[in-house]
Amino acid sequence: MVLILGGVGAGKKAYVRSLGFTDADMGDDISDGKPVLCDLETLVRRDPAQADARFDALLRKEFVLCCEVGSGVIPLERADRAYREAVGRLCVRLAEKAAAVVRVTAGIPTAIKGELPCR
Amino acid sequence: MMILLTGGAANGKSAFAESLCMQTDGPRFYLAAMRPYGAEGEAKIARHRRLRAGKGFTTIERYTDIASLRLPARGTVLLECIANLTANEMFDETGNMTDPGERVLAGVDALNAQCERLVVITNDVGSDGVGYPPETAAYIDAMGRINAALASRADTVYELVAGIPILLKGDSLL
Repeated sequence: MVLILGGVGAGKKAYVRSLGFTDADMGDDISDGKPVLCDLETLVRRDPAQADARFDALLRKEFVLCCEVGSGVIPLERADRAYREAVGRLCVRLAEKAAAVVRVTAGIPTAIKGELPCR
Repeated sequence: MMILLTGGAANGKSAFAESLCMQTDGPRFYLAAMRPYGAEGEAKIARHRRLRAGKGFTTIERYTDIASLRLPARGTVLLECIANLTANEMFDETGNMTDPGERVLAGVDALNAQCERLVVITNDVGSDGVGYPPETAAYIDAMGRINAALASRADTVYELVAGIPILLKGDSLL
């Protein structure tokens, strides 16, 4: 599994497309059988327990894409604080197991762990 | 030497900071700037205590005016964190606001002069691009300027992303 991180609209999906994947390869459900899981942060928001419980299934994806959500001021709402904490901690765990971690900034992919997957 | 660690929330800054402190022989001081407000704050502090357990840190709680602190011995200091210290220096109990920059930086300078290795944890609080009320916007602005001033002082700067340290300045310590 390769973990792809970046801010909103940073170019994470475009990078995966550049590797030859199509939108049909991308889904937002862990169990959809697709190689690319997008919007992990939305999945955590929807069901934090499921994201943790299906950790091994996440590792079986080829690519997992997640927005970095922790780089703002501490949210006022308790649920929002718990959410960004959960996304951050899950990404730390995924990064430990990932073959590579790619961070996309302004459309530019940088390998921060392992080798940059290229076509 | 001074090491600055930045990054968003829940990215492994504390764990990495502790590993940098463990590279030295000690004594080790943990300087906590977070006021223990409410159950959530207590839980966060308890989690940090668990992470530090058995690593030989002496904990010092100091929420403002770090500059007047005198450490009992030269060694390694972990200051956690600038986001809390800045808020504490910026807003008093009645909500009055003053520019925290000078006091925060004077505190870090005073610590740096009293130890062999200073590890400072800060946060990136300005990258969510959302409009905030003036007080919060002023805080985000102050944090940005303080972080830049700290990075300029630091020998080594890392950004933590998903637990991965990204070297931004200086030589790798790994």
